[in-house]
Amino acid sequence: MLKQSGIFSIISATLLTLFFSLISLEISAQAILEPVKVGLIVPLSGPWARPGQVMRVAAELAVEEINEQGGIAALGGAPLELVVYDAGDNVERAKNAAQRMVAEEPDLIGAVGAYLSSFTLAVTEVTERAEVPILTLSYSDLITSRGFNYVFQTSASGAVQSSGALPVLMDMAESASGHRPETIAIIMDNTAASEAFVKPFFETNILEEYGLELVVNEVFTPPLANATSLIQHIRAEQPDLLLLLPTAISDTKLLLEKMNEFRLGRGLIPTISNGAAMGDPDLLSNMPGFLLEGVMSIVANWSTRGQEELIDKFKDVSGEPWMTQHPLSTYGHVWLFKQALEQSSSRDSTVIANTLRNMTLSDGAVNYFPGNSLSFDQTGKRIDAGILVIQWQEGEPITVFPEREALRSILWPGE
Amino acid sequence: MDIAQLIENLLQSLVAGVLTGSTYGLMCVGLTIIFGVMRVINFAQGEFMMLGMYFTYFCVNFLTRQFGLEGIYLPFVVAMLAGPVIYLFGDLLHRGLLNKVSGQQGSKLEAGGHYAQLVLTLGLALLLQNAGLYFFGSTPVSVSTSLSYTAWELGSPEGISVFINQAQSLAAILAVGVVLIFGFLIAKSRLGKSLRAAADNPDAAIYMGIDVERAHRIAFGFGVGITAIGGGLLASYAPFQPYIGTEYVIIMYAGVVLGGLGSIRGAFLGGLSIGILQQVSATLLPNQLQNTVIFVCFLAVILLRPNGFFGKSGRVA
Repeated sequence: MLKQSGIFSIISATLLTLFFSLISLEISAQAILEPVKVGLIVPLSGPWARPGQVMRVAAELAVEEINEQGGIAALGGAPLELVVYDAGDNVERAKNAAQRMVAEEPDLIGAVGAYLSSFTLAVTEVTERAEVPILTLSYSDLITSRGFNYVFQTSASGAVQSSGALPVLMDMAESASGHRPETIAIIMDNTAASEAFVKPFFETNILEEYGLELVVNEVFTPPLANATSLIQHIRAEQPDLLLLLPTAISDTKLLLEKMNEFRLGRGLIPTISNGAAMGDPDLLSNMPGFLLEGVMSIVANWSTRGQEELIDKFKDVSGEPWMTQHPLSTYGHVWLFKQALEQSSSRDSTVIANTLRNMTLSDGAVNYFPGNSLSFDQTGKRIDAGILVIQWQEGEPITVFPEREALRSILWPGE
Repeated sequence: MDIAQLIENLLQSLVAGVLTGSTYGLMCVGLTIIFGVMRVINFAQGEFMMLGMYFTYFCVNFLTRQFGLEGIYLPFVVAMLAGPVIYLFGDLLHRGLLNKVSGQQGSKLEAGGHYAQLVLTLGLALLLQNAGLYFFGSTPVSVSTSLSYTAWELGSPEGISVFINQAQSLAAILAVGVVLIFGFLIAKSRLGKSLRAAADNPDAAIYMGIDVERAHRIAFGFGVGITAIGGGLLASYAPFQPYIGTEYVIIMYAGVVLGGLGSIRGAFLGGLSIGILQQVSATLLPNQLQNTVIFVCFLAVILLRPNGFFGKSGRVA
């Protein structure tokens, strides 16, 4: 009797152990395969809705590809899930969206956003408190100068772009035309992005160092009603280089059309801009492409050599004529999170932030950003973030510098 | 800067000011008709301008794609058609909404219906803006014509040359034409007389058998239609999006107050002055002060001549 009950107890204990083991295995398997959530916070309504929607398409493309390739291997193949929040049309709405995002998604491992520098500055105040790492393309120097631990800027900041671009432009001008430019004109709007770009020109003696005399310095408040007075100054001074820094399509159209009208356009004066606005596909629905021919822009990211397959895929999915810096970087940011997840094998956002801060990439996501390696300093700023120069050639803005990443050679105006 | 260069800069900005100001003037005329006859300050006037722009844009695209109609002058022809179409829209809005807070019905409301008019026209502006955003999208668009980036060059033996933008010149000529025709209509026709009577003394006009409500409806239709023509002409050389009305409504008000509320001639000259001030000040002062100069002059006129250059209470002429 005792023997029988002993056998029964052993069998019962074994069955119970098996039962609970199976349950715990099921629970842990479910936990491992629970999707890993990445936030995307970009404007999806209001005046910046279109670039936000294009960024969303790029992020969804990256998530789809990652999941098709087996998800996050280090987390048992857990799939990525994109949670999207609309940053709206002003800073307050962007901040509210960030608050909603961190409240509704407590298990978020990181986020990507938020298009405009002013939005990113507001959004990162929220994500910093919630200890959610955010990857951004925004240019402002302020983004990584506030002592935050959870923001990572993959682009060269505005000041770095301008001080880095000047020697490049001087060399390009000299090698193409045979002489170094001696005079420079600046026409810019008074937005934060343009102000940040020209800051080093006025706060350091960089122009003098390169033997450049500033002959026109015009700042306008967008939107322009008429560009006559601005372009008349250019016509009067005939500078060797023109830095044209509008950020709105309407102002770009008025300025370039007025240059053409005053017989200064189509490459007569080397014209350089900053940012993706000068490479926006919407420019072509507002003005004929030949007015843009030869115009250059300094950007933090753009389609480069080796990305042809991705570009074709993106064009198919989005219907866009080319891939600008915003969707390209957003796509790269999602892949960057994938690499951080693989390296850390963790779903903890603080661990992901530490991994991002300490890792040095030479393959994978680095292919979607300029340069051969990708790492961040303690402030979250990308170390040695490079710049690219794009130029309108045959109706499309093409990367023309640096040579190793360029898709075509630069055509210096007047050549 | 040498004298020849300074003269060239000033002449160039003067030409740009006259061309830009003519379109502003036309838009101001639309606004002043509504105020002069109905005593309604229409905060949605900029949005009717926006509707005129989109009407021109979609019509030009439709005619080009469906019927193969092309031509550098097509946007200008279509811009003129925006007037009658927006007139009909204005007529409907007056019957359905404005009629309830202006004229005889408005006089029964608090402050003669002015508070209600203010809220209604502001609400209408927001409604049209957001409807525009929903239907037209936020991306700026332009009406395609090569005239917007081509110019006539006038030169002198001293080396001074001035460029005259072809699209703006055509827009300015049409704007002046519309103002002259409308001014003639108001001054000489029976309809004009009834509008003036309704503006001068609505009660007396009723005793004389004039349908004041109809006169108000016609005035509102004319006001928004004329501003829509101005928008259509502006669209031939400037890009636009659904929020563009907000940028121009301030200019329209400044122009109307400068010229004198209710005066057609004054409103046109007010708008013209704003255009000239805007462009010439940008040559002599930093560009960022362009709008500051406009409003300093605006305040000066308000202080020295509160009724504007040509303004007289209750006048439409």
